[in-house]
Amino acid sequence: MKADDQASLEAVLKDEIIRMYEEVAENPEAEFHFFHGRDAAELFGYDAAWLDEAPAGAVASFAGVGNPHERANLQAGETVLDLGSGAGLDAIVASRFVGPAGRVIGVDLNPSMCLKARAHAAATGTTMECHEGRMEEIPLPDATADVVISNGVINLSFRKRQVVEEMFRVLKPGGRISITDIVSAKQLSQSIVNDPKLWAA
Amino acid sequence: MFALLEEAGFKRVKSAVVPGFRFRQQSTQNSAEAFGVKAVMMTAEKPPEA
Repeated sequence: MKADDQASLEAVLKDEIIRMYEEVAENPEAEFHFFHGRDAAELFGYDAAWLDEAPAGAVASFAGVGNPHERANLQAGETVLDLGSGAGLDAIVASRFVGPAGRVIGVDLNPSMCLKARAHAAATGTTMECHEGRMEEIPLPDATADVVISNGVINLSFRKRQVVEEMFRVLKPGGRISITDIVSAKQLSQSIVNDPKLWAA
Repeated sequence: MFALLEEAGFKRVKSAVVPGFRFRQQSTQNSAEAFGVKAVMMTAEKPPEA
């Protein structure tokens, strides 16, 4: 694919991703092709207490594909980056582990999702930073985080190598990642690659 | 993704399939299975000397 074509497709994809995940956040009772909300979180083993204590809007908007907390081994005082933080459920769960001495930073493509995430975190009595930005150009300095978590987001990028290099850059030496995501064993057809609705799915 | 993590410099890269993941709509699930699509959990570490 030519660079100009890819840039154009990426711009369309960005709009489609924003539209789709805003729809989940604004209309969580709707049916999507993926499981979402509390049903999905419970399916992936989220502790009931985490979900009970989180704001209903954060739980209802959950659109992850697994449970990155299961193996993150978060410790009190650590700095956690949630890449693609959405409405904030994973950041709120992370804040339970790192406590008031820790720091939870979200990055999301959509500024309105950052607003929601911050409000949801505040409603639980925790503080979460959220920065609007792309995961291919994480808006944070080198060596910021002890841990990067992410849930069902990296697959949305056309430039996964760049995303991985950015995660490496923003991690402190000795830091770690715990991510859940969708992978494909086969090369996707060009018709899927060229269709923003399918790619965003 | 596994290879990308190693090529970026991550060590101790591990992955496991997320049990129970599936798409809600059967047609989407069928397409996903045809392409070997699955949800995975991956962990990795940045070396202390990096």
